[in-house]
This record gives sequence, C-alpha cells and structure tokens, in this order.
Amino acid sequence: MKTFEEKWTAWLDGRLSDRELAEFEASLPDKAAAEAEKTEVKKLGALLKRELGAQALLNEEFFNHQIREKIARESTGESRKREVEVSPWWTIRRLLWTGTASLAVFLVMAIFVMRDKNPAEQSQYLTQILNARVDPVVSPNATISMFETKEDQVTVLWTEGLQSLPADYAAK
Amino acid sequence: MQTEATLAQADVSELDLVRRCQAGDTEAFDELVTRYRTRVFGMIYNMIHSEQDAWDLAQDSFVKAWKSIKRFRGQSSFYTWIYRIVMNVTIDWARKKQIKPGGAEFDDAIQPKEIDPASKTVPKADALPYETMERSEIRARIDRAIAQLSPEHRAVILMKEIEEMQYHEIAETLGCSIGTVMSRLFYARKKLQNLLRDVYENI
Repeated sequence: MKTFEEKWTAWLDGRLSDRELAEFEASLPDKAAAEAEKTEVKKLGALLKRELGAQALLNEEFFNHQIREKIARESTGESRKREVEVSPWWTIRRLLWTGTASLAVFLVMAIFVMRDKNPAEQSQYLTQILNARVDPVVSPNATISMFETKEDQVTVLWTEGLQSLPADYAAK
Repeated sequence: MQTEATLAQADVSELDLVRRCQAGDTEAFDELVTRYRTRVFGMIYNMIHSEQDAWDLAQDSFVKAWKSIKRFRGQSSFYTWIYRIVMNVTIDWARKKQIKPGGAEFDDAIQPKEIDPASKTVPKADALPYETMERSEIRARIDRAIAQLSPEHRAVILMKEIEEMQYHEIAETLGCSIGTVMSRLFYARKKLQNLLRDVYENI
C-alpha cells in the first residue's frame, strides 16, 4: 500500500492491520474530521445499498427462456459452421479429382486426335503420285509441283509427263 | 458452523453445476442463470439505468458465459467469473454508447419509473404516494450522480457497496490491481459524497 488514496480507502473500510492503522491515524492532521468523513462514507454506502440493492427482474422465466433459445440458436449455428469448415476440404478434394480426371480425358483425346490426324495430313492419293514421280520406269519425264495456300485451305497439284494415273485412285 | 457448512454445500453444488455445464448440460446452466439473473440484471441496471438495455446485456453476458464455460477452471468463484464477463460486456457497451453526464438517458422528463401519485393502480398496502415520489426522486438523484462517474468507477463503487465484494474480488473481476480498485473507490466516493451529501444527511 503506497498512495494516500489506497491507505485512506483501506482505513475507511477497516482493512488496515493494527500496525498500519496506528501509523495512518498518527499521520492524520485532523482525526476528528477524518472520523466524520468515515461516518459520511458509511451513510453514503447505506443509501446506495438501500436504493440500488433491490432491483427486481420482471418476467424471470421469460429471461431464462430467451437465454435457452439463444443458446440453442448458437449451437445450431456452431454445427453449421463446423459443416462449412469441413466442406472446403471436401470441395478442394473434389476439385482435385475433377481436375485430374479432366486432364486424363484431355490427354487421351489428344493422343487419339494426333494419331488420327497425322496420316490424314498427306492423302494416299498424293503419296502414290509422289512415289510415281521417282519411278523412272513408269514416268521417266514426270514432274510434279504442289502449291498450297493454308489460309484458304487450297492445295494445287500440278503434274506433267505422267504416263497415266491409276483409275482406282480417288482423291478423298 | 452450520452457515459455513451450508455455504460449502452450495459451493460444491455450484461447482457441480459448472462441471455439468462444461459437459454440455443446458439444464445445469439454466439453474446457474436462475441463481444469478437478479444480481446480474441489477448490477447492469445500476450501471446503465435502462431496463431494456440491462435485460439485453444480461442476456448477452449469460450467453457469453455459456460459450466460454469450458475455459472456467474453478480458480475463482463462479460469480466472480461471471461478473467479469458482465463487467466487460457492460463497460464496453457504455464506452460505445458514450453515456455522458446529463445525457438523455438520465433526463428527468423520461424517467420510466416515475409514478403518478394519483394513480389508481397503486396498491393500498404500498407506500403513500408522497413517499413513493420522494423515493423516486432520491433514486433519480442517485442515478444522475452515478452517471457522472466513469464506467470503471461506477463498477467499483457498485461492486463494493451493493455487492459487498472484497477488493481482490473486484480486482479479479475488472482485471486490474487491488491498488487501482482502492484508488478508484477513493475518487468515486469523493464524487458521490459531493453530489449526494444533502440526500444521505437528511434521511
């Protein structure tokens, strides 16, 4: 206990030990005035206790009922919160699975498409003609030129000196 | 001795109720609410002087107590623990609301407890009308005087004078030192002495 306020309060409330009490009372300049104030503080305490002490709570059962309802609502809210807390994990796992499956499907499709697309890049008909050019026995003076415009998707095949084209070769 | 035994029994029973609450027993909590609702409500009402707000804050305090009851370790009494929640809730509210001395809450014109002396609803067995009016005026004076204290000073004086709590219990409830409690009590009493001297000297 250090400050005067603390000592004064403890003295008013009778919380000083014998030694502290003797020291404090010896330090008071006017003990009679201090005693008068002590009486005043007791009167003040009694007034507050009398006037403020009995504040009635009306509708006590309704008070409890409302608290029970709030607690029930809180509990429901907590359960939902827990569910929500679980679902992001579940969603992430589902997203991962969906993503992996989609990627696998995409890769499989891509492989099929590429395998299917490569042979089609050059038709069987063109292959036969190109092969025919290099056969000096069939067409010793044959020349073949090819012009291609990718933007217009047009290919022009210019042949010269071919002896014949096989009848069963048809452009696809 | 009998009183001490009864108190000890009540304490054990209270601790038992707390344990049951911690296990999720809402009926046990209902019992605790029943035990403390009047004191909690009264304490808050004396702090803020509004019946509706005191009701709401008391409810909030009990709901908060339920939510955090698992953290109650039994190192202090349950009422000290719940009072701590009550004080936190109420002082926070008072700060946010910024109740100022002479504010509308304490305006004479809107005293909800004002009783018409000529009212036919006053039971015959009750105090005489002029006595009721006098009590009502005294109460209004006290409310206005308390409203001039800061929430912290209000809490200390009410816990000491109304609840008759010890310094260490008040300190524990407010989360401050015993020295601070004594200092606040000193200034709160001085202020109320100045404001209410004529009231308590004439009773």
